[in-house]
Amino acid sequence: MINLKVVSPQKVIFEKEVEMAVLPGAEGDFAAMPNHSPFISSLRPGQMVIMSANKVDESFFVSGGLVMLKEKVCEVLVDQIESLSDVNSSNYQQSKTFQELEGNDTALGTFEQVVNNPPYK
Amino acid sequence: MPNLKELKNRISSVKSTRKITSAMKMVAASKLRRAQDLAESSRVYADSLSFILSSLAGNTKNSSDLPEILTGRENSKISLLIINSSDRGLCGGFNSNLFRNAKNWISEQQEKGKSVKIITVGKKASSFYRKTDLDVIANFDDLNSNDKQLQVSEEIKNKIMELFENNEIDEVSILFNKFVSVIAQEPTYQSLIPLSNDEADEEVTDTSNAVFEFEPDKNELLEYLVPRNFLTQIYRSVLESSASEHAARMTSMDNATRNAGDMIDGLTLTYNRTRQAFITKELIEIISGAEAV
Repeated sequence: MINLKVVSPQKVIFEKEVEMAVLPGAEGDFAAMPNHSPFISSLRPGQMVIMSANKVDESFFVSGGLVMLKEKVCEVLVDQIESLSDVNSSNYQQSKTFQELEGNDTALGTFEQVVNNPPYK
Repeated sequence: MPNLKELKNRISSVKSTRKITSAMKMVAASKLRRAQDLAESSRVYADSLSFILSSLAGNTKNSSDLPEILTGRENSKISLLIINSSDRGLCGGFNSNLFRNAKNWISEQQEKGKSVKIITVGKKASSFYRKTDLDVIANFDDLNSNDKQLQVSEEIKNKIMELFENNEIDEVSILFNKFVSVIAQEPTYQSLIPLSNDEADEEVTDTSNAVFEFEPDKNELLEYLVPRNFLTQIYRSVLESSASEHAARMTSMDNATRNAGDMIDGLTLTYNRTRQAFITKELIEIISGAEAV
């Protein structure tokens, strides 16, 4: 189990023990698991997934940020995060993240794309 | 002899002042709790970020490899000072302490041959520095909600990045009242450009046993990290300052309430004495009148 800690500039969003977390690293998605080599990466906008036994437990949209991996700790510093179970393709336009990131189409994966076509289901 | 009616009016006006100050004290106390919570919960992010930044900077052996925005320019000529004041008054020496401190700092810089530019946060600073001949380049005020605080921090960050790139400034420091305790707030400087080292040094020794891999490469990461770090530091100073403001207001309103209470006691005593004197005087008049008959 790895301790996943998600932090925004304002507060600690959640902290829990997970088996595996897949994160949208700047140069490709990667999985954070215990005893990964010490690693710091920036994040591109995309989907963050918490998995156990090869199944998706929870998925989130992150608008970008940083991640620091160290032994059994995975710290994710995010700008914006939203649980994808709260948004689906019909109501994503009402979500705060969408409104803030709208028009930000230079990003690799926009909020809209992730909601409509999540890479992990 | 003091007029009874006047005294009565005085007492009632001091009483209503006491009501106001004690209400303000209670409001400040509840706001303080919120501001303190915010300041504490933002600390996790700031600590992690400065940890990452220092392990990144510490990992680069040669400091000349680091970008100017981290190390500062060699012959710095123009300093920028960001002053975090409050929007409202009635908070004791909160603002005046800050301005006195800033004045010393500015003259120190000028003695070193540097010119000083100022960004003010809060209405009190903007109205104070409008009257001076200092170069105020921007004002930010109405920081009444947390979202607004974050937004203002973002705007300040963009402003200083832009100014630094255009060579309009060489150094950046923030001045804010650090929240030490409810009764003590201390004007504190923090240097943004160059990056202050005191924190970084401690952390680097800590990281020596863990060598991180970086992705993408260091320079690209730094490009992302540096503005983030500015934002977090500015945001943190804004939060500290707001916690200090409420604490300062709470203490000074508490004092004011107590003083008003003392004043009421004194005035009530005078009022009663005067009333007594009037009665005695009237009695004497009646008795001496009766004697004359």
